Amino acid sequence: MTTPATTTPTTATPTGTVSSPARLADDTAQGRTTIAASVVQKIAGIAAREISGVHSMGGGVSRAFGAIRERIPGGGTGAANIAGVQVEVGEKQAAVDLDIVVEYGASIVDLARAVRRNVITAVERMTGLEVIEVNIAVNDIHLPTADNGDEVQPVQPSRVE
Amino acid sequence: MTVSSTPIAVPLTLAERVAATVLTHPGVAGLHGGVFGSVATYLPGRRLTGVRIGEGDEPVELGVVLHIHRPIPEVVRALRREVSVMCGGAAVNITVADIAVPVALAPDLAAVEPAG
Repeated sequence: MTTPATTTPTTATPTGTVSSPARLADDTAQGRTTIAASVVQKIAGIAAREISGVHSMGGGVSRAFGAIRERIPGGGTGAANIAGVQVEVGEKQAAVDLDIVVEYGASIVDLARAVRRNVITAVERMTGLEVIEVNIAVNDIHLPTADNGDEVQPVQPSRVE
Repeated sequence: MTVSSTPIAVPLTLAERVAATVLTHPGVAGLHGGVFGSVATYLPGRRLTGVRIGEGDEPVELGVVLHIHRPIPEVVRALRREVSVMCGGAAVNITVADIAVPVALAPDLAAVEPAG
């Protein structure tokens, strides 16, 4: 994984690379920096959605769970309140689990690869944390002709009274 | 945000001054009470969320919500430098509690409520 050249505009740091975990450790002399999980979650969620071919985030259990949690007031920084994105954030590293729904017609393997690359780049560039893994689960596929991908049974009126 | 000019209770006015300085930084969207809501200073008549000046050797605590268009380590470093100078070289612990996502970018992410 190559480090983008334009990531560190500040010249004061001795370590010039954004993916170097020592960046945050350097700060311990003058204080600690803590990045909340929801920050990484939002960044990862946005980065995943940017890839065309990703229809939406979430799917199955996590989609329902996320929808409930979003409505809980005060579930701000601590709770995983973003459907389809789970993160683990440490002092220097982060791991991301994504649940996505893909559009029909996209190569799922290429799509997953692009999502992974974009998420890693975005999180590392924005937060300075090293992303050690991005797990992607494709839970569903969105078909353009039917609104829901499942088979739709026409409702049969009862024949007997 | 007005800065108190009364000479009494210096640590309190310092907290207000730190809050004002932090809020003027372009990368900062707002102050935040931290993950547990504990980063705050109690002032006469109100509670200043997001800044806590430590007693003695304790580090200064800062809770912020940042904008999304700037790399976080860069903003954090600038804030730490400014606040540390204001607080006589004290260590500054910064918690980035949230990021402000513009509605156009991702409507559902932007709908999450602001600082609690």
